[in-house]
Amino acid sequence: MDEELLKLESELSALRPAQPSADLQLRLAQIRPVARTTARALRWSWLALPAAAALTLAYFNATPTAPSNAAPVVTASPTFKPVSAKNVLLDSRDDGYATLTDGTPVHRTREIYLDTITWKNPQTKASLTWSVPREEIRIIPVAFQ
Amino acid sequence: MEDPHESWKDWFSAHGPKLLLFARQSTRCLADAEDVLQEAFVRFWRNQRKLGGEPLGLLFTSIRRTAIDLGRQKTRRVAREEIREEGEPVEPLFESPADPSADERRMVVERAIQALPAEQREVLVLKIWGERTFEQIAAQLEISPNTAASRYRYALTALRHQLTAADCHG
Repeated sequence: MDEELLKLESELSALRPAQPSADLQLRLAQIRPVARTTARALRWSWLALPAAAALTLAYFNATPTAPSNAAPVVTASPTFKPVSAKNVLLDSRDDGYATLTDGTPVHRTREIYLDTITWKNPQTKASLTWSVPREEIRIIPVAFQ
Repeated sequence: MEDPHESWKDWFSAHGPKLLLFARQSTRCLADAEDVLQEAFVRFWRNQRKLGGEPLGLLFTSIRRTAIDLGRQKTRRVAREEIREEGEPVEPLFESPADPSADERRMVVERAIQALPAEQREVLVLKIWGERTFEQIAAQLEISPNTAASRYRYALTALRHQLTAADCHG
């Protein structure tokens, strides 16, 4: 590189990039970019599944049975209808680039949701909520130049 | 025990200016650049910091991808938002020196940098203020080291021409 370019290079190096605004620093301080408690959230949501299952079993086992000597009573089986379905994004991660077994370069991201479905029995007003974590992995093929 | 809150502040205060300068090369205004930097930095600090690798390299790459995503979203908007009004003040890329004549020179240099093609500007910023090697730049921009070196040389040559012309016209 000629001397003029070297001189220009050192002139440029002497310039100091401007500081990020106070507003950005304030926003970051409010977010506090410390590590998320994803693991804790997931542990909780995994507990929700057996809890929901136990609740279901308890509900159906608790249905009173008629005494054997009594006249048979025709009862409608409890009819639960789904009334709401929600999913909450707990975490999202960018795994960066990876290579598939066939050598295809891909960009991989993952998102972890907590899906919650609620059923209600309109006759008894009983409700049942079922929460289950779901991990969604997206693999996007990448074309390098 | 280390306070993570203080730690990110120190880290951001050391590297924030050069990351912001890089973000500004791929965004339309300072506000967009700061949004991109915020998103990339928070993602890095929360999730990517412990993955290993070279932190600045990860962040430069993340900023670039985030800026590209933001650019795609914004291209759907009307053109009037893209056109900077004539005479609208542009936020400086660099700190203003106390000496007025040095500050005038800074403005001339900034204008010359902003007139460079984006691909040359990107390499120039990574090389000079990001202190990256051509190999690192090549990896981040997904080009060859030779292409990175050529773009850098073209950028310097173009800057020299522009600055010489500016000097001649006073």
